[in-house]
Amino acid sequence: MDIQLLLPELVLTLGLAAIIIIPNLGDAKFRIPLTSIRIPVLIGGTRFPATRDPRLPNWMTLATLSAALVASTMTLLDPPSSGQVGSSLEVDQFSSLLTNLFICVLILCAVSATQRIPSDPDAPAPSEGDDEETESSKTAALYDNRRQADFHILLLTLGIGMSLMAKSTHLFMLFVCLELASLSSYVLVGFHKESKEGGEAGTKYFIVGSVASAVGIYGMSLLYLWNGDLSVDGLSQSWQSMETLDPLAAAGVGMMLVAFGFKVGAAPFHLAIPDAYSGTSSMVAGVLATASKAMGFVALLRLLVTIAMPASGPAFWFGTLAAISVVTMTWGNLAALSSENPKRVFAYSSVAHAGYMLAAVSAIGSGLADSAAQEMIVMAVLFHLCVLVLFKMGPFMVLSSIEREGSSHRVSGLNGLASRDPLLAASMFVFMLSLAGVPPFSGFLSKLLMINGIVAVSAGTGGASTILSWAFSVEPVFWLAVAVVLNSALSMFYYLRMGMVMFFEPNERGESPPCSPVVRALIVSMAILSLAFGIGPPSEWLLGLAQDAAATLLS
Amino acid sequence: MSGSSNEYNLLLPLIPVLLLVPALYISGMESYDAAFLIVLAPFIAFPTIIIAGQLYNGNETWKNKMKEGGIIGLGALLVSLSVSVWILIEYLAEIHHFSGHQVTSWIEWISFEVLQSDYTMSSTRVFGVGVWIDSVTLMLLFVATFLCFLICWFSLGYMNTDPINEDRNHRFYAEFVLFAMGMFGMVLADNFLWLFIFWEIMGLCSYLLIGFYFWKESAAYAAKKAFLTTRVGDVFLMVGLLILYDIYGSLEFSVIFADPSLHGAVNSDKLFWALLMMFVGAIGKSAQFPLHVWLPDAMEGPTPVSALIHAATMVNAGLYLVARMVPFVDVGHHGVAGLEDLGLIVAYIGGITAFMAASIAFVQNDIKKVLAYSTMSQLAYIFTGLGSALWFYNHGEHHAATFVFGASMFHLFNHAMAKGMLFMASGSVIHEVHHAHDHLHEEGNEHDDFDPQDMRNMGGLASKMPVTSTAMMIGSMSIIGVPLIGGFWSKEGIIAETWLAALEHEPLMIGPAILILLTAGMTGFYMSRMWFMTFAGEPKHDVVNHVHESTPWIKEPLVILAVISALGGFLLALFGVIDYLSGEYDHLALHKPSLLEAIVYELEHAFLPKNPNLRIVGWTTILLSFIIGPIFAARVHGGKLAEGHRASPMVAWLTSLSGMFGSQDATELSQSSLSEALQNRLYFDYYYELALSKTVLPFAVFAAWFDKTVIDGIVKKVASYSVLGSFQIRRVTTGRASDYILMLTVGTLSIFALAWGVSG
Repeated sequence: MDIQLLLPELVLTLGLAAIIIIPNLGDAKFRIPLTSIRIPVLIGGTRFPATRDPRLPNWMTLATLSAALVASTMTLLDPPSSGQVGSSLEVDQFSSLLTNLFICVLILCAVSATQRIPSDPDAPAPSEGDDEETESSKTAALYDNRRQADFHILLLTLGIGMSLMAKSTHLFMLFVCLELASLSSYVLVGFHKESKEGGEAGTKYFIVGSVASAVGIYGMSLLYLWNGDLSVDGLSQSWQSMETLDPLAAAGVGMMLVAFGFKVGAAPFHLAIPDAYSGTSSMVAGVLATASKAMGFVALLRLLVTIAMPASGPAFWFGTLAAISVVTMTWGNLAALSSENPKRVFAYSSVAHAGYMLAAVSAIGSGLADSAAQEMIVMAVLFHLCVLVLFKMGPFMVLSSIEREGSSHRVSGLNGLASRDPLLAASMFVFMLSLAGVPPFSGFLSKLLMINGIVAVSAGTGGASTILSWAFSVEPVFWLAVAVVLNSALSMFYYLRMGMVMFFEPNERGESPPCSPVVRALIVSMAILSLAFGIGPPSEWLLGLAQDAAATLLS
Repeated sequence: MSGSSNEYNLLLPLIPVLLLVPALYISGMESYDAAFLIVLAPFIAFPTIIIAGQLYNGNETWKNKMKEGGIIGLGALLVSLSVSVWILIEYLAEIHHFSGHQVTSWIEWISFEVLQSDYTMSSTRVFGVGVWIDSVTLMLLFVATFLCFLICWFSLGYMNTDPINEDRNHRFYAEFVLFAMGMFGMVLADNFLWLFIFWEIMGLCSYLLIGFYFWKESAAYAAKKAFLTTRVGDVFLMVGLLILYDIYGSLEFSVIFADPSLHGAVNSDKLFWALLMMFVGAIGKSAQFPLHVWLPDAMEGPTPVSALIHAATMVNAGLYLVARMVPFVDVGHHGVAGLEDLGLIVAYIGGITAFMAASIAFVQNDIKKVLAYSTMSQLAYIFTGLGSALWFYNHGEHHAATFVFGASMFHLFNHAMAKGMLFMASGSVIHEVHHAHDHLHEEGNEHDDFDPQDMRNMGGLASKMPVTSTAMMIGSMSIIGVPLIGGFWSKEGIIAETWLAALEHEPLMIGPAILILLTAGMTGFYMSRMWFMTFAGEPKHDVVNHVHESTPWIKEPLVILAVISALGGFLLALFGVIDYLSGEYDHLALHKPSLLEAIVYELEHAFLPKNPNLRIVGWTTILLSFIIGPIFAARVHGGKLAEGHRASPMVAWLTSLSGMFGSQDATELSQSSLSEALQNRLYFDYYYELALSKTVLPFAVFAAWFDKTVIDGIVKKVASYSVLGSFQIRRVTTGRASDYILMLTVGTLSIFALAWGVSG
């Protein structure tokens, strides 16, 4: 076993340990009995100014995550010949691509958090006569850094869970890591427990999530009952050799679908998601919409494409998943149409995007896809997950930089953003166009690839003279592509509405709170990357990575 | 508004621009590789002026030092001019040789594979970006860059001193350079696709520039009319190009012109229709019958625009397109036989337009409208010449064909130079009269309906505007075709060869031949009439006494172009320009042993041709255009200047001469029904509008109704039902965790049931 393969996770774990210990260091001394020699024991006493600094956890997290990113990028660019670690973890192109993705999301979240949970050790206390806003900001500045430490500990735990989950080749391991990540995310959602929405969102998210997990783990037990082995390879082989579909196996996979469906936000398991997004801070919502969703898709791909694929013919879950995908995307888009809270809009938009990806995944199970088509679809989904980090995390970062403490979130909060902060508004508009799938942005490319994959699967079917008879004879999987296209048209409304609100509505809110230059630079560069990954060499590079990853997953 | 000479200091920043070409030359760049700069410079100047204009509007430095963008535009056009002069010099000095033409391809712009009939993707088709340079390109490129530069220069005086344009001039200059880019690009294009693209850019800019005073209803209407009328032609042009593409599988000149007959495989009927459609496009752009109605109205634009678009450059695009048809019909060089009818049609359209426009010009009182109709008429000459050339080429009469083709192209050159200058001179007149009127107006003299463009308010200006009157005299002479001056050398060739075709080859040619011969006389009349009404006789309005020729930037282009119009024709004729333009000679040079022999040869050729028929035709033309037309004009409109006024020596002879033919009262004639019909432009506009209101308008109303109720109705229904669905579906999201878990359970059970159903 080569421990270097798990270097990113090791770095994260060490960072986690450091972040737990270091902010607690103080000047406590231990007097050796009967002498006057005092030995500093560091734990306890009054904390040093440096360890008390509220910004410390953030810096440590950023350093940890950056180190982990470097480590995992090295693995990605120079994949090991054999990545087997123990019997239940494997490091390959697929898992290191996903690890990179997760860590990137967490870095973006941590950078936004720099601004969002800031404090100054010498902050003045609120005094009489301060208006409400000043008072709340002063209070926030006075917070003890333990709160920051908690937040970042959760982030790192989330990172470890997700990153290990991507590497799991054993369903049990996969589930444990998934739960590690999930539990952290439940707490992160409810992190603003002092506000009513925060606590409520966290609770709801936790309750519904735990029910889904319970169903999932019950399904896994059924699988174990059926096969006696939960390793992905073992299950896959048994599945291939299965003559007729075993009800135990089918029920097991179906119930695990519920657990993973909750993670990706598939209907009808998505209902808690909008509440969670709107109740939590924007950057956490961004993490849920990108990293957490990617995690769900990794699990789904492992479960459905690697394990539950029959040797030939359609998979039993094809119809189910296709139905779920259509319902998901339609539900998401329709609900987003009339939502007034931008976070809810993005939550529903993220549901809709899950629907698009589920449609692509279900096309793999149609039994018509040859290995090339399967690889293309998986590549498209992975590429979409990667670029989603840019243009899904981006809007949340923009929201995070303009939202004010305690303000309720309405679309009207974006009114006239273009006149307040043209750069942010332009970036936001780029994100919207990319989400809507407008060429030449990367959102268009990824959506095009997914639709192309679905159409390629159904290509050559439905030969008839008239359009009507063709429509009846074409393989049903083709209609998934139609559904994606129609839904994209529907989604244009609320994406463009954001642009209209930003550029054409009068500015009502006066000056924006200052946005830190780092965050602003990140947002702008994400907007530029959204374009760059849609055209030219950068897109080819990323597609190459996604293709390698897809090939490793399917091999 | 100061007329001080230090205005010209503004040009100092442009001096480094002049160093560009030497720098490129020293760095070893080939001139034709630098040709992209000709298009690129104005293309960059366009957004620069627009953006800077928006940013610095009203700023003093921007207004006075940059002339609201005029200096930037002038700089860009100077780049274009210097590069094209560099190319011209290199080709004339034979540093580069081309046998007929030179092609440079830079990049492949679009390349795609084509599905063959056996369902394989095999033949790759490419649209490239490059330049095509031959003698016609060189000539038109020089004309376009040179005139654009001079007109931009003129605009610095004309536009920037008119208070009505204040803070809007950046718009003018931006559109101006964009237009220039379109023209340069079209001339340089090495395939029909790019030609079409630049053609459309010009159409757009023409629309914008004619409608520069868009708050005037007439200007907005004229812009719309110009755009829509040329659009009719453009649609035909596009259809023609599509047929061409269908025939050749390419729109590259180098591919098509290599062998337009495809080893005799081309169906001449199909090609005929392609070329005819393209010719309709040319008719629209060059304002020929029956798509001529837009040009007179286009005079609503500022005068530099008239000079630029409606005299010097854009209207020549149609001629250029027809000139590019020669390889298709040149049976001596792989051309397709059986296309004589095309030449006949072109010649007839030319002949009819020439006659009609000239007759309408008889009764126009607006100085710019006279020039507009004159432009139509002169362009029609060139079309007639090109029509004869196409006919001769297709008939195998190579010598006659090249001669009349060269003469037509040469007339294009002469006409562009003279007419560009005439428009600028008319602009000078209008500007100064307007200025004088404003001056009077300030002093309390009320003139409500005063029209500074109406020649009936002028007269006797020769004493007030020496430079303008001289320039206008020379320009008019060039247009009339006064022997030895400018247009004479080319017009004579066109008329003579058309008659030659009519008398010796094709009797049907007699129609255009007679029409353009008559038009020669009519040209003599209306151009002289314009000059006499404006500059000779007694002042018809007291405004005239307050006119001064004082605005800076206006005189220089007039002087330069007057010299070129006066002498350019003869000099170029001596150097064999006609044979050079038709590709017979590889370079411009004396093709006779000595200068004297060349002069003798040219004079003999012009005045005493060997063919007796041509001799008669030639002298009839001279008689009609030089003697009869001007004398009638002088009888009606001429007259000595008022007592105490003295014209400059250059024109004094003409004003006094004009008074010697007595005077004739033409009031009765001017009230005849023919005159009324001509005043109404022969009712073309009336019947066009009648026809449109009976056909197009009802359909447009129906289409609008269909769009509004059916299409929009469907869209709105979809939208409202979506929103309705949105509200319904959001009700499910109650916010209660128990409901969520219920839904989750329902989902789980459904999956369970589905899985059970499939496996069972």
